[in-house]
Amino acid sequence: MFDLVEAFHRPSSIREALRLLHAGGRRARIVAGGTDVVVRADPEIRSLVDITRLGLTYIKRSGGAWAIGATTTMAQIEHSAALRALAGGILVEAAKGCGSVQLRNMATLGGNLANASPAADTAAPLLVLDAQVVVAGERSRRTLALADFFLKPGETALGKALLVEILIPAPPRGARTAWSFQKLGRTESDISVVNAAAGLQVDGKGVCKWCRIALGAVAPVPLRARAAEALVTGRKLDGSLVEQAAAEAAREASPITDIRATAEYRREMCRVLVKRALAECAARAGCSL
Amino acid sequence: MRGTSGVLIMKTMQLRLTVNGETRQWTIAPGDLLLDVLRREGCYGVKRGCEKGECGACTVLLDGKPINSCLMFAAQAEGCDILTIEGLAVGDVLDPLQEAFLDHGAVQCGYCTPGMILNAKALLARNPHPSEAEVRETMAGNYCRCTGYLKPVEAVLAAAGRAPAPARSGRKAVKR
Ligand SMILES: Cc1cc2nc3c(=O)[nH]c(=O)nc-3n(C[C@H](O)[C@H](O)[C@H](O)COP(=O)(O)OP(=O)(O)OC[C@H]3O[C@@H](n4cnc5c(N)ncnc54)[C@H](O)[C@@H]3O)c2cc1C
Repeated sequence: MFDLVEAFHRPSSIREALRLLHAGGRRARIVAGGTDVVVRADPEIRSLVDITRLGLTYIKRSGGAWAIGATTTMAQIEHSAALRALAGGILVEAAKGCGSVQLRNMATLGGNLANASPAADTAAPLLVLDAQVVVAGERSRRTLALADFFLKPGETALGKALLVEILIPAPPRGARTAWSFQKLGRTESDISVVNAAAGLQVDGKGVCKWCRIALGAVAPVPLRARAAEALVTGRKLDGSLVEQAAAEAAREASPITDIRATAEYRREMCRVLVKRALAECAARAGCSL
Repeated sequence: MRGTSGVLIMKTMQLRLTVNGETRQWTIAPGDLLLDVLRREGCYGVKRGCEKGECGACTVLLDGKPINSCLMFAAQAEGCDILTIEGLAVGDVLDPLQEAFLDHGAVQCGYCTPGMILNAKALLARNPHPSEAEVRETMAGNYCRCTGYLKPVEAVLAAAGRAPAPARSGRKAVKR
Protein backbone atom coordinates (compact mmCIF):
# COMPACT_ATOMS: atom_id res chain seq x y z
CA MET A 1 0.00 0.00 0.00
CA PHE A 2 2.87 2.33 0.83
CA ASP A 3 5.36 0.63 -1.49
CA LEU A 4 6.61 3.92 -2.89
CA VAL A 5 7.55 5.37 0.48
CA GLU A 6 11.30 5.93 0.51
CA ALA A 7 11.93 7.11 4.04
CA PHE A 8 10.41 6.92 7.48
CA HIS A 9 11.75 9.55 9.85
CA ARG A 10 11.49 9.57 13.64
CA PRO A 11 12.72 13.03 14.58
CA SER A 12 13.23 13.88 18.23
CA SER A 13 12.75 17.63 18.00
CA ILE A 14 10.17 19.96 16.48
CA ARG A 15 12.95 21.71 14.56
CA GLU A 16 14.12 18.50 12.96
CA ALA A 17 10.55 17.47 12.13
CA LEU A 18 9.95 20.79 10.39
CA ARG A 19 13.21 20.51 8.48
CA LEU A 20 12.26 17.02 7.25
CA LEU A 21 8.80 18.20 6.25
CA HIS A 22 10.25 21.10 4.37
CA ALA A 23 12.82 18.91 2.62
CA GLY A 24 10.15 16.38 1.64
CA GLY A 25 7.88 19.01 0.12
CA ARG A 26 4.47 17.93 -1.11
CA ARG A 27 5.36 14.28 -0.86
CA ALA A 28 6.22 14.31 2.84
CA ARG A 29 3.46 13.50 5.31
CA ILE A 30 3.21 13.89 9.05
CA VAL A 31 2.10 10.76 10.84
CA ALA A 32 0.88 10.77 14.44
CA GLY A 33 -1.52 7.93 15.27
CA GLY A 34 -1.69 7.06 11.58
CA THR A 35 -5.38 6.16 11.73
CA ASP A 36 -6.32 8.64 9.02
CA VAL A 37 -3.04 8.57 7.05
CA VAL A 38 -3.06 4.78 6.64
CA VAL A 39 -6.74 4.50 5.73
CA ARG A 40 -6.41 7.27 3.15
CA ALA A 41 -3.31 5.57 1.61
CA ASP A 42 -2.31 8.54 -0.53
CA PRO A 43 -0.06 7.08 -3.29
CA GLU A 44 1.81 10.42 -3.57
CA ILE A 45 3.54 9.96 -0.22
CA ARG A 46 7.29 9.37 -0.43
CA SER A 47 8.39 10.21 3.09
CA LEU A 48 6.72 9.89 6.46
CA VAL A 49 7.60 12.02 9.47
CA ASP A 50 6.56 10.42 12.77
CA ILE A 51 5.85 13.18 15.30
CA THR A 52 5.08 10.98 18.30
CA ARG A 53 8.59 11.36 19.76
CA LEU A 54 8.69 15.15 20.01
CA GLY A 55 7.54 15.44 23.61
CA LEU A 56 4.10 16.62 22.52
CA THR A 57 2.16 14.08 24.57
CA TYR A 58 0.87 15.83 27.69
CA ILE A 59 -2.12 17.35 29.45
CA LYS A 60 -1.05 20.40 31.48
CA ARG A 61 -2.81 22.96 33.55
CA SER A 62 -1.70 26.57 33.62
CA GLY A 63 -3.89 28.67 35.87
CA GLY A 64 -7.46 27.87 34.92
CA ALA A 65 -6.44 27.07 31.36
CA TRP A 66 -5.41 23.73 29.88
CA ALA A 67 -2.77 22.86 27.34
CA ILE A 68 -2.94 19.52 25.54
CA GLY A 69 0.00 18.35 23.43
CA ALA A 70 -0.88 17.51 19.82
CA THR A 71 0.14 13.85 20.06
CA THR A 72 -1.90 13.14 23.19
CA THR A 73 -4.13 10.17 22.38
CA MET A 74 -7.90 9.94 22.69
CA ALA A 75 -7.34 7.24 25.35
CA GLN A 76 -5.17 9.59 27.41
CA ILE A 77 -7.83 12.28 27.22
CA GLU A 78 -10.55 9.77 28.05
CA HIS A 79 -8.71 8.65 31.18
CA SER A 80 -7.76 12.12 32.40
CA ALA A 81 -9.60 12.80 35.66
CA ALA A 82 -8.74 16.50 35.30
CA LEU A 83 -10.30 16.79 31.85
CA ARG A 84 -13.33 14.88 33.05
CA ALA A 85 -13.88 17.71 35.51
CA LEU A 86 -13.45 20.38 32.83
CA ALA A 87 -16.68 21.80 31.35
CA GLY A 88 -18.84 18.85 32.28
CA GLY A 89 -16.34 16.50 30.66
CA ILE A 90 -17.51 17.24 27.10
CA LEU A 91 -14.06 16.77 25.59
CA VAL A 92 -13.64 13.46 27.41
CA GLU A 93 -17.02 12.33 26.15
CA ALA A 94 -16.10 13.19 22.57
CA ALA A 95 -12.74 11.39 22.86
CA LYS A 96 -14.49 8.32 24.30
CA GLY A 97 -16.70 8.12 21.25
CA CYS A 98 -13.80 8.08 18.77
CA GLY A 99 -13.74 4.53 17.49
CA SER A 100 -12.82 1.44 19.44
CA VAL A 101 -10.47 1.01 22.40
CA GLN A 102 -7.74 0.02 19.94
CA LEU A 103 -8.32 3.09 17.81
CA ARG A 104 -8.34 5.44 20.79
CA ASN A 105 -4.94 4.11 21.87
CA MET A 106 -3.57 5.32 18.52
CA ALA A 107 -5.64 8.33 17.40
CA THR A 108 -4.31 11.69 18.57
CA LEU A 109 -6.08 14.96 19.30
CA GLY A 110 -3.78 16.85 16.93
CA GLY A 111 -4.47 14.33 14.16
CA ASN A 112 -8.22 14.65 14.67
CA LEU A 113 -8.03 18.41 14.14
CA ALA A 114 -5.28 18.51 11.47
CA ASN A 115 -7.16 15.93 9.42
CA ALA A 116 -9.91 18.56 9.15
CA SER A 117 -12.83 16.21 8.73
CA PRO A 118 -16.07 18.16 9.22
CA ALA A 119 -17.14 15.23 11.41
CA ALA A 120 -14.10 15.25 13.74
CA ASP A 121 -15.60 14.49 17.13
CA THR A 122 -13.34 16.67 19.24
CA ALA A 123 -13.92 19.80 17.14
CA ALA A 124 -17.38 20.74 18.43
CA PRO A 125 -16.49 20.54 22.15
CA LEU A 126 -13.25 22.44 21.55
CA LEU A 127 -15.14 25.11 19.59
CA VAL A 128 -17.58 25.73 22.43
CA LEU A 129 -14.60 25.90 24.77
CA ASP A 130 -13.15 28.69 22.56
CA ALA A 131 -10.00 26.60 22.10
CA GLN A 132 -6.92 27.88 20.33
CA VAL A 133 -4.23 25.98 18.49
CA VAL A 134 -0.50 26.60 18.68
CA VAL A 135 1.21 26.13 15.35
CA ALA A 136 4.99 25.89 14.87
CA GLY A 137 6.56 26.85 11.55
CA GLU A 138 10.24 26.82 10.64
CA ARG A 139 10.67 30.44 11.65
CA SER A 140 7.88 31.26 14.02
CA ARG A 141 5.17 30.06 16.30
CA ARG A 142 1.65 31.41 16.28
CA THR A 143 -1.57 30.88 18.14
CA LEU A 144 -4.89 31.03 16.37
CA ALA A 145 -8.50 30.39 17.26
CA LEU A 146 -9.68 26.89 16.40
CA ALA A 147 -12.61 28.55 14.61
CA ASP A 148 -10.08 30.04 12.14
CA PHE A 149 -8.09 26.82 11.78
CA PHE A 150 -10.48 24.85 9.58
CA LEU A 151 -10.69 26.10 5.99
CA LYS A 152 -12.56 23.38 4.12
CA PRO A 153 -12.87 19.57 4.24
CA GLY A 154 -9.33 18.22 4.63
CA GLU A 155 -7.78 21.66 4.67
CA THR A 156 -6.50 23.77 7.56
CA ALA A 157 -4.56 26.99 8.01
CA LEU A 158 -1.48 24.85 8.85
CA GLY A 159 0.33 24.82 5.52
CA LYS A 160 3.62 23.03 6.15
CA ALA A 161 3.56 23.89 9.85
CA LEU A 162 3.11 21.59 12.79
CA LEU A 163 0.18 21.71 15.17
CA VAL A 164 1.94 21.45 18.53
CA GLU A 165 -0.62 22.27 21.20
CA ILE A 166 -4.30 22.79 21.83
CA LEU A 167 -5.06 25.53 24.36
CA ILE A 168 -8.30 25.63 26.28
CA PRO A 169 -8.72 28.98 28.05
CA ALA A 170 -10.29 28.86 31.51
CA PRO A 171 -13.95 28.23 30.71
CA PRO A 172 -16.52 30.59 32.22
CA ARG A 173 -17.50 29.23 35.61
CA GLY A 174 -19.94 30.14 38.28
CA ALA A 175 -23.32 28.93 39.39
CA ARG A 176 -25.69 27.48 36.81
CA THR A 177 -23.07 26.95 34.12
CA ALA A 178 -23.55 23.75 32.13
CA TRP A 179 -22.21 21.90 29.09
CA SER A 180 -23.28 19.09 26.79
CA PHE A 181 -21.92 16.99 23.92
CA GLN A 182 -24.18 15.02 21.59
CA LYS A 183 -23.18 12.53 18.92
CA LEU A 184 -25.21 10.57 16.44
CA GLY A 185 -23.30 7.75 14.78
CA ARG A 186 -24.34 4.68 12.82
CA THR A 187 -22.82 2.56 15.58
CA GLU A 188 -21.27 3.48 18.90
CA SER A 189 -17.74 3.52 17.51
CA ASP A 190 -18.40 4.97 14.06
CA ILE A 191 -17.57 8.53 13.10
CA SER A 192 -20.39 11.06 13.60
CA VAL A 193 -23.28 11.44 11.21
CA VAL A 194 -23.89 14.66 13.11
CA ASN A 195 -22.51 15.99 16.38
CA ALA A 196 -23.10 19.07 18.48
CA ALA A 197 -21.84 20.70 21.65
CA ALA A 198 -23.25 23.47 23.80
CA GLY A 199 -22.43 25.46 26.88
CA LEU A 200 -24.47 28.11 28.70
CA GLN A 201 -25.10 29.92 31.95
CA VAL A 202 -28.42 31.03 33.38
CA ASP A 203 -29.02 33.53 36.16
CA GLY A 204 -31.28 33.09 39.19
CA LYS A 205 -34.34 33.94 37.09
CA GLY A 206 -33.52 31.41 34.40
CA VAL A 207 -32.32 34.04 31.92
CA CYS A 208 -29.45 32.88 29.73
CA LYS A 209 -26.32 35.00 30.35
CA TRP A 210 -24.28 33.50 27.53
CA CYS A 211 -24.62 30.55 25.20
CA ARG A 212 -22.25 28.72 22.86
CA ILE A 213 -23.29 26.12 20.31
CA ALA A 214 -21.06 24.19 17.88
CA LEU A 215 -22.04 21.84 15.08
CA GLY A 216 -20.12 18.99 13.44
CA ALA A 217 -20.62 17.07 10.17
CA VAL A 218 -23.23 19.49 8.85
CA ALA A 219 -21.03 21.99 6.96
CA PRO A 220 -17.66 22.03 5.15
CA VAL A 221 -16.01 22.70 8.53
CA PRO A 222 -17.07 22.30 12.17
CA LEU A 223 -18.62 25.63 13.12
CA ARG A 224 -20.22 27.77 15.79
CA ALA A 225 -23.96 28.41 15.37
CA ARG A 226 -23.69 32.14 16.08
CA ALA A 227 -27.27 33.06 15.18
CA ALA A 228 -28.70 30.37 17.43
CA GLU A 229 -26.38 31.51 20.23
CA ALA A 230 -27.55 35.12 19.82
CA LEU A 231 -31.16 34.02 19.89
CA VAL A 232 -30.77 32.35 23.28
CA THR A 233 -28.57 34.95 24.98
CA GLY A 234 -30.44 37.37 27.21
CA ARG A 235 -33.72 35.47 27.09
CA LYS A 236 -35.47 33.19 29.53
CA LEU A 237 -34.50 29.62 28.78
CA ASP A 238 -37.65 27.59 28.22
CA GLY A 239 -38.90 24.81 25.99
CA SER A 240 -40.01 27.06 23.19
CA LEU A 241 -36.71 28.99 23.15
CA VAL A 242 -34.81 25.71 22.95
CA GLU A 243 -36.98 24.65 19.98
CA GLN A 244 -36.42 27.97 18.23
CA ALA A 245 -32.66 27.89 18.82
CA ALA A 246 -32.42 24.32 17.52
CA ALA A 247 -34.32 25.27 14.35
CA GLU A 248 -32.06 28.30 13.91
CA ALA A 249 -28.93 26.13 14.27
CA ALA A 250 -30.30 23.73 11.64
CA ARG A 251 -30.73 26.72 9.29
CA GLU A 252 -27.09 27.68 9.86
CA ALA A 253 -26.02 24.19 8.76
CA SER A 254 -25.21 23.43 5.12
CA PRO A 255 -24.99 19.64 5.10
CA ILE A 256 -24.19 17.32 2.21
CA THR A 257 -25.31 13.84 1.27
CA ASP A 258 -22.67 11.10 1.54
CA ILE A 259 -22.47 7.39 2.35
CA ARG A 260 -23.46 7.99 5.97
CA ALA A 261 -26.55 10.15 5.55
CA THR A 262 -28.53 12.45 3.29
CA ALA A 263 -28.34 16.21 3.63
CA GLU A 264 -32.00 16.34 4.70
CA TYR A 265 -31.47 13.79 7.45
CA ARG A 266 -28.35 15.59 8.66
CA ARG A 267 -30.14 18.93 8.89
CA GLU A 268 -33.03 17.38 10.82
CA MET A 269 -30.68 15.51 13.16
CA CYS A 270 -28.68 18.70 13.67
CA ARG A 271 -31.87 20.30 14.97
CA VAL A 272 -32.54 17.33 17.24
CA LEU A 273 -29.01 17.22 18.64
CA VAL A 274 -28.91 20.95 19.36
CA LYS A 275 -32.26 20.63 21.09
CA ARG A 276 -30.95 17.75 23.18
CA ALA A 277 -27.73 19.61 23.97
CA LEU A 278 -29.57 22.74 25.13
CA ALA A 279 -32.10 20.67 27.08
CA GLU A 280 -29.28 18.79 28.78
CA CYS A 281 -27.50 22.06 29.60
CA ALA A 282 -30.75 23.45 31.01
CA ALA A 283 -31.27 20.38 33.18
CA ARG A 284 -27.67 20.46 34.41
CA ALA A 285 -28.02 24.18 35.17
CA GLY A 286 -31.08 23.40 37.27
CA CYS A 287 -33.65 24.89 34.86
CA SER A 288 -36.87 23.04 34.25
CA LEU A 289 -38.05 23.56 30.70
CA MET B 1 21.39 -1.84 2.32
CA ARG B 2 20.12 -5.20 1.17
CA GLY B 3 18.24 -6.28 -1.90
CA THR B 4 19.91 -3.98 -4.38
CA SER B 5 20.94 -6.69 -6.83
CA GLY B 6 18.27 -5.91 -9.43
CA VAL B 7 17.39 -2.69 -11.22
CA LEU B 8 14.75 -1.93 -8.62
CA ILE B 9 16.30 -0.33 -5.59
CA MET B 10 14.22 -1.22 -2.60
CA LYS B 11 14.78 1.14 0.32
CA THR B 12 15.03 -0.64 3.62
CA MET B 13 15.62 0.20 7.25
CA GLN B 14 16.22 -1.63 10.48
CA LEU B 15 13.54 -2.12 13.11
CA ARG B 16 14.51 -3.08 16.66
CA LEU B 17 11.77 -4.15 19.02
CA THR B 18 10.69 -6.83 21.48
CA VAL B 19 8.14 -9.37 20.31
CA ASN B 20 6.71 -11.86 22.78
CA GLY B 21 9.62 -11.30 25.13
CA GLU B 22 12.37 -11.67 22.56
CA THR B 23 14.49 -8.89 21.13
CA ARG B 24 14.23 -8.71 17.35
CA GLN B 25 15.94 -6.80 14.62
CA TRP B 26 14.13 -6.90 11.32
CA THR B 27 14.78 -5.36 7.94
CA ILE B 28 11.68 -3.53 6.79
CA ALA B 29 10.58 -1.16 4.06
CA PRO B 30 9.85 2.36 5.35
CA GLY B 31 6.21 2.11 4.29
CA ASP B 32 5.57 -1.35 5.77
CA LEU B 33 2.61 -1.71 8.09
CA LEU B 34 3.10 -3.48 11.40
CA LEU B 35 0.51 -6.14 10.50
CA ASP B 36 2.44 -7.13 7.37
CA VAL B 37 5.78 -7.28 9.15
CA LEU B 38 4.48 -9.38 12.04
CA ARG B 39 2.89 -11.88 9.67
CA ARG B 40 5.98 -11.96 7.44
CA GLU B 41 8.01 -12.81 10.52
CA GLY B 42 5.74 -15.71 11.40
CA CYS B 43 3.19 -14.28 13.82
CA TYR B 44 0.23 -15.72 11.94
CA GLY B 45 -2.03 -15.25 14.96
CA VAL B 46 -2.14 -11.58 13.94
CA LYS B 47 -5.03 -11.76 11.48
CA ARG B 48 -5.56 -9.67 8.40
CA GLY B 49 -9.17 -8.52 8.43
CA CYS B 50 -10.71 -5.28 7.21
CA GLU B 51 -7.36 -3.42 7.01
CA LYS B 52 -9.00 -0.18 8.06
CA GLY B 53 -9.14 -0.35 11.80
CA GLU B 54 -12.67 -1.57 12.23
CA CYS B 55 -12.71 -5.32 12.80
CA GLY B 56 -9.94 -5.75 15.39
CA ALA B 57 -8.65 -9.08 13.98
CA CYS B 58 -5.13 -7.60 13.76
CA THR B 59 -5.08 -6.45 17.41
CA VAL B 60 -1.75 -6.74 19.23
CA LEU B 61 -0.62 -5.26 22.53
CA LEU B 62 1.93 -2.48 22.08
CA ASP B 63 3.57 -1.64 25.41
CA GLY B 64 0.55 -3.29 27.01
CA LYS B 65 -2.08 -1.40 25.05
CA PRO B 66 -4.30 -2.90 22.36
CA ILE B 67 -3.85 -1.32 18.94
CA ASN B 68 -4.85 -2.19 15.38
CA SER B 69 -1.62 -3.33 13.72
CA CYS B 70 -3.16 -2.70 10.28
CA LEU B 71 -3.16 1.06 10.95
CA MET B 72 0.36 1.40 12.28
CA PHE B 73 3.57 1.78 10.34
CA ALA B 74 6.03 -0.89 11.47
CA ALA B 75 8.72 1.78 11.87
CA GLN B 76 6.61 3.39 14.60
CA ALA B 77 7.12 0.31 16.78
CA GLU B 78 10.87 1.00 17.12
CA GLY B 79 11.90 0.21 20.69
CA CYS B 80 8.42 -1.01 21.64
CA ASP B 81 7.31 -4.19 23.33
CA ILE B 82 4.77 -6.21 21.36
CA LEU B 83 2.64 -9.09 22.53
CA THR B 84 0.84 -11.25 19.98
CA ILE B 85 -1.35 -14.25 20.74
CA GLU B 86 1.69 -16.51 20.19
CA GLY B 87 3.30 -15.01 23.29
CA LEU B 88 0.39 -15.31 25.69
CA ALA B 89 0.67 -18.89 26.92
CA VAL B 90 3.59 -19.69 29.18
CA GLY B 91 5.07 -22.85 27.70
CA ASP B 92 2.20 -25.33 27.60
CA VAL B 93 0.17 -23.43 30.16
CA LEU B 94 -2.60 -21.41 28.56
CA ASP B 95 -3.54 -17.99 29.84
CA PRO B 96 -6.77 -18.02 31.93
CA LEU B 97 -8.44 -16.10 29.10
CA GLN B 98 -7.49 -18.76 26.56
CA GLU B 99 -8.78 -21.46 28.93
CA ALA B 100 -12.01 -19.58 29.42
CA PHE B 101 -12.56 -19.15 25.67
CA LEU B 102 -12.16 -22.91 25.25
CA ASP B 103 -14.36 -23.78 28.24
CA HIS B 104 -17.15 -21.51 27.03
CA GLY B 105 -17.08 -22.56 23.39
CA ALA B 106 -16.27 -18.95 22.56
CA VAL B 107 -14.22 -19.99 19.54
CA GLN B 108 -15.87 -20.94 16.28
CA CYS B 109 -13.86 -20.23 13.13
CA GLY B 110 -11.26 -18.61 15.37
CA TYR B 111 -10.36 -15.69 13.15
CA CYS B 112 -11.39 -12.99 15.61
CA THR B 113 -10.20 -14.91 18.68
CA PRO B 114 -6.59 -13.67 18.99
CA GLY B 115 -7.70 -10.05 18.79
CA MET B 116 -10.51 -10.60 21.28
CA ILE B 117 -8.28 -12.34 23.78
CA LEU B 118 -5.52 -9.72 23.57
CA ASN B 119 -7.98 -6.85 23.92
CA ALA B 120 -9.54 -8.60 26.94
CA LYS B 121 -6.07 -9.23 28.37
CA ALA B 122 -5.36 -5.50 28.41
CA LEU B 123 -8.77 -4.78 29.91
CA LEU B 124 -8.22 -7.22 32.78
CA ALA B 125 -4.75 -5.81 33.41
CA ARG B 126 -6.18 -2.35 34.12
CA ASN B 127 -9.55 -3.47 35.46
CA PRO B 128 -9.40 -7.01 36.89
CA HIS B 129 -13.13 -7.20 37.63
CA PRO B 130 -14.99 -5.43 34.84
CA SER B 131 -18.76 -5.34 34.60
CA GLU B 132 -20.47 -6.98 31.63
CA ALA B 133 -21.08 -3.51 30.18
CA GLU B 134 -17.38 -2.69 30.43
CA VAL B 135 -16.45 -5.95 28.72
CA ARG B 136 -18.92 -5.30 25.91
CA GLU B 137 -17.75 -1.73 25.48
CA THR B 138 -14.14 -2.88 25.25
CA MET B 139 -14.89 -5.71 22.82
CA ALA B 140 -16.80 -3.36 20.50
CA GLY B 141 -13.59 -3.07 18.50
CA ASN B 142 -13.50 -6.82 17.76
CA TYR B 143 -15.97 -8.11 15.20
CA CYS B 144 -17.09 -11.71 15.15
CA ARG B 145 -18.99 -12.97 12.14
CA CYS B 146 -19.88 -16.47 13.33
CA THR B 147 -20.28 -17.39 16.99
CA GLY B 148 -21.48 -13.97 18.13
CA TYR B 149 -20.54 -12.10 21.24
CA LEU B 150 -22.38 -13.85 24.06
CA LYS B 151 -19.85 -16.60 24.62
CA PRO B 152 -16.76 -14.43 24.30
CA VAL B 153 -18.26 -11.97 26.82
CA GLU B 154 -19.06 -14.85 29.19
CA ALA B 155 -15.55 -16.17 28.77
CA VAL B 156 -13.95 -12.84 29.64
CA LEU B 157 -16.17 -12.45 32.69
CA ALA B 158 -15.34 -15.99 33.80
CA ALA B 159 -11.61 -15.36 33.35
CA ALA B 160 -11.98 -12.18 35.38
CA GLY B 161 -13.67 -14.14 38.15
CA ARG B 162 -10.70 -16.40 38.56
CA ALA B 163 -8.00 -13.86 37.84
CA PRO B 164 -5.72 -13.34 40.82
CA ALA B 165 -6.67 -10.53 43.16
CA PRO B 166 -4.96 -7.28 42.18
CA ALA B 167 -1.35 -7.74 43.32
CA ARG B 168 -1.51 -6.90 47.01
CA SER B 169 0.92 -9.24 48.68
CA GLY B 170 2.20 -11.11 45.66
CA ARG B 171 -0.21 -13.95 46.44
CA LYS B 172 -0.16 -16.85 43.99
CA ALA B 173 -3.05 -17.30 41.60
CA VAL B 174 -5.71 -19.60 42.98
CA LYS B 175 -5.49 -23.00 41.27
CA ARG B 176 -8.64 -24.16 39.60
C1 LIG C 1 -12.24 2.70 12.25
C2 LIG C 1 -12.11 4.19 12.48
C3 LIG C 1 -13.03 4.84 13.29
C4 LIG C 1 -12.92 6.21 13.51
N1 LIG C 1 -13.83 6.80 14.31
C5 LIG C 1 -13.75 8.14 14.53
C6 LIG C 1 -14.71 8.79 15.36
O1 LIG C 1 -15.63 8.17 15.91
N2 LIG C 1 -14.60 10.13 15.51
C7 LIG C 1 -13.60 10.86 14.92
O2 LIG C 1 -13.56 12.07 15.10
N3 LIG C 1 -12.67 10.26 14.15
C8 LIG C 1 -12.73 8.93 13.93
N4 LIG C 1 -11.80 8.33 13.12
C9 LIG C 1 -10.78 9.15 12.44
C10 LIG C 1 -9.40 9.22 13.12
O3 LIG C 1 -9.16 8.10 13.93
C11 LIG C 1 -9.24 10.50 13.94
O4 LIG C 1 -9.39 11.61 13.10
C12 LIG C 1 -7.88 10.57 14.66
O5 LIG C 1 -7.97 11.46 15.74
C13 LIG C 1 -6.73 10.98 13.76
O6 LIG C 1 -5.55 11.08 14.55
P1 LIG C 1 -4.20 10.34 14.15
O7 LIG C 1 -3.20 10.70 15.17
O8 LIG C 1 -4.42 8.92 13.89
O9 LIG C 1 -3.90 11.11 12.78
P2 LIG C 1 -2.93 10.73 11.57
O10 LIG C 1 -3.58 9.74 10.69
O11 LIG C 1 -1.57 10.44 12.07
O12 LIG C 1 -2.93 12.17 10.85
C14 LIG C 1 -4.12 12.71 10.31
C15 LIG C 1 -3.76 13.91 9.41
O13 LIG C 1 -3.30 15.01 10.17
C16 LIG C 1 -1.94 15.31 9.90
N5 LIG C 1 -1.35 15.55 11.22
C17 LIG C 1 -1.42 14.73 12.31
N6 LIG C 1 -0.91 15.33 13.39
C18 LIG C 1 -0.50 16.56 12.99
C19 LIG C 1 0.11 17.66 13.66
N7 LIG C 1 0.38 17.62 14.98
N8 LIG C 1 0.39 18.77 12.94
C20 LIG C 1 0.10 18.84 11.62
N9 LIG C 1 -0.49 17.84 10.94
C21 LIG C 1 -0.78 16.70 11.61
C22 LIG C 1 -1.40 14.12 9.14
O14 LIG C 1 -0.40 14.49 8.22
C23 LIG C 1 -2.65 13.63 8.42
O15 LIG C 1 -2.87 14.39 7.27
C24 LIG C 1 -11.87 6.95 12.89
C25 LIG C 1 -10.94 6.29 12.11
C26 LIG C 1 -11.03 4.93 11.89
C27 LIG C 1 -10.00 4.25 11.03
